[in-house]
Amino acid sequence: MATIDFKNVQKSYGEVHAIRDFTLHVEEGDFCVFVGPSGCGKSTALKMLAGLEATTGGTISIGGRDVTDAGPGKRDIAMVFQNYALYPHMSVRSNIGFGLKMRGQDKAEINRRVEAAAETLELTDYLDRRPRALSGGQRQRVALGRAIVREPSAFLMDEPLSNLDAKLRVQTRSEIVNLQKRLGVTTIYVTHDQVEALTMATKIVVMRGGVIQQIGSPETLFAQPANIFVAGFIGSPGMNFFRGPVEVVDGRAQTRFGEQVVPLSVAPDALRGGEAIFGIRPEHLKIGGDTGTPVALGLVESLGTEKILHFPTPEGQAIGSLQKVIGSDDAGRDSATMLARVIDDRRYTDGETVRVALPEGKVHVFDPETQKALS
Amino acid sequence: MIDFSSPRHRAKFGYLLLAPAVIMMALIIIYPILLSVDISLQDVRIARVGGDREPWTLENYRWLTSSAEFWNSLWVTAKMVLTVGGISLIIGLATALLVNQKFRGRSLARLFVALPWAVPEVVATVIWAWMLDSSFGVINWALLKIGLVDQAIQFGSNSTAAFFAVCFVMIWKGYPLVSIMLLAGLQSIPEEQYQAARVDGANVWQRFFYITLPSLAPVLGVTSVMTTLWVFRDFAIIYVLTQGGPIGSTTTLSILTFEQSFAFFRMGQGAAVGVVTLVICAFISRALVGRFANSVH
Repeated sequence: MATIDFKNVQKSYGEVHAIRDFTLHVEEGDFCVFVGPSGCGKSTALKMLAGLEATTGGTISIGGRDVTDAGPGKRDIAMVFQNYALYPHMSVRSNIGFGLKMRGQDKAEINRRVEAAAETLELTDYLDRRPRALSGGQRQRVALGRAIVREPSAFLMDEPLSNLDAKLRVQTRSEIVNLQKRLGVTTIYVTHDQVEALTMATKIVVMRGGVIQQIGSPETLFAQPANIFVAGFIGSPGMNFFRGPVEVVDGRAQTRFGEQVVPLSVAPDALRGGEAIFGIRPEHLKIGGDTGTPVALGLVESLGTEKILHFPTPEGQAIGSLQKVIGSDDAGRDSATMLARVIDDRRYTDGETVRVALPEGKVHVFDPETQKALS
Repeated sequence: MIDFSSPRHRAKFGYLLLAPAVIMMALIIIYPILLSVDISLQDVRIARVGGDREPWTLENYRWLTSSAEFWNSLWVTAKMVLTVGGISLIIGLATALLVNQKFRGRSLARLFVALPWAVPEVVATVIWAWMLDSSFGVINWALLKIGLVDQAIQFGSNSTAAFFAVCFVMIWKGYPLVSIMLLAGLQSIPEEQYQAARVDGANVWQRFFYITLPSLAPVLGVTSVMTTLWVFRDFAIIYVLTQGGPIGSTTTLSILTFEQSFAFFRMGQGAAVGVVTLVICAFISRALVGRFANSVH
């Protein structure tokens, strides 16, 4: 168990800056997830922490010890790779015990610890098999076994679930979280999947283009995103955005969504210019009441009681090219369509007109220039 | 008319397409083998296909077992296989590891590693024969200049020197293939395995012994079979360099086959040596390929 500190870490490949000013403090026992779209530098950051990539600047410490120039084997960390990186010519037993063997532990001790790790991961029956004779989920557990057997001060995991099928991924997700809680080892976990980040992390680091966008707990990121990118990236389906006028009436700021006047919880001084970008989560929209803006439903996706309703953004309020900034993983979502998520027993049909209302206090306000959240 | 696109007949079309190749193979590979077995069982000096034939006899094989020449050539071949095979495997692996690293000028280095392979065997051997010449050769000149030897080494008349000269040229000619094969093998080892081993605390030697070598085992196996068979079969290098001499010190089984058949015109005995060579090669490749095929993951 150890704290992990990045201080102004930089990484550049020639002219290309892969990581800029990466500063992060991870507490002992934290489950910290680096999340972001592909190419955002999250894996590079992890590899620098592992010592597999050199830093261009800054320092990295593990447990208060500066390891910036230490080799991977001298950092007291264990790593789980995306494709598991098991040694194909070794049995499961040798795979798990390899790190101990390299550290010169005696055979009996290696055996004892390998068997304990195998029991934790329910791998006892497979110890003498080769990795090729195991299923994807079992290989994943062997990779975890290789990490836990050494009792390192930190686990590093690089998208360890992305080679599993959807069902197994959900199951393994909770297994990893439980294991981490039980062992209490500081964990850094890299993923591009914000659902994994939200469900597993105690601390999330959202990255984009090599720069940290926001660091916070899942709740903070969900409720108070720091900018448009984080707002759109976290949550599924992602946040809806629209452009709206800023009006000040009786000292209070308000905007309009179609016909509806939406009071804002932001102080009028914070709002420069006559316009802002607003965001509302699909699950916060009120559908089918007596107030609000009437919209025609374009598409109704039903998942039983839960329904995703698609409807056009009120005229002139689409955010246009800003959509590109948003890291939402609903690919192909266009800027002129909004989504509402409802859980009720009502039947909705395509083309039906319903009223959509934005409840007060749930609307996020962003500066159209800096894209930062205003509060 | 059979519709070859139907699933039921699709296989037949495949066989039809394969047939010409299979027939050709049978004619140019199987027939000569059977022919040489046939000749080896006849007590003939000059075999004539289609002419009068001698009755089958084991006379040639009897000669083989009692002939000092045969046992000598078997011993020479074995020594040569081990020397050439072993050293070219080591040099091939070393050069493959070298050109697998990222460095400036890597493509050029790869080209140079592979170059000896591209030079025709006879051309290369003639050049080496000149360089190894005891009167005008650059190698003797260099050795004398450096002071490693007091008098020129007689590569043509000293048995040990001749043997090692042949081995040297064979290694020079043979290691590039080993290197190319092993390079392909090295490139198929995932980088993550090395990263995992580094995180596990393995140093460079441990990574070599625990990751590189086991992962290369199948390729190493196939490559050693190929090198072994190549040394067994090779004729041009030895013939151009020493013609099997001096006093049989470089007479391998293939040289003996040639000598018996076309120098002494005892084709029956020559064919018998050839058949024994074939059987030995078949056993070696079966054993090695079988063993390494099992370790392929």
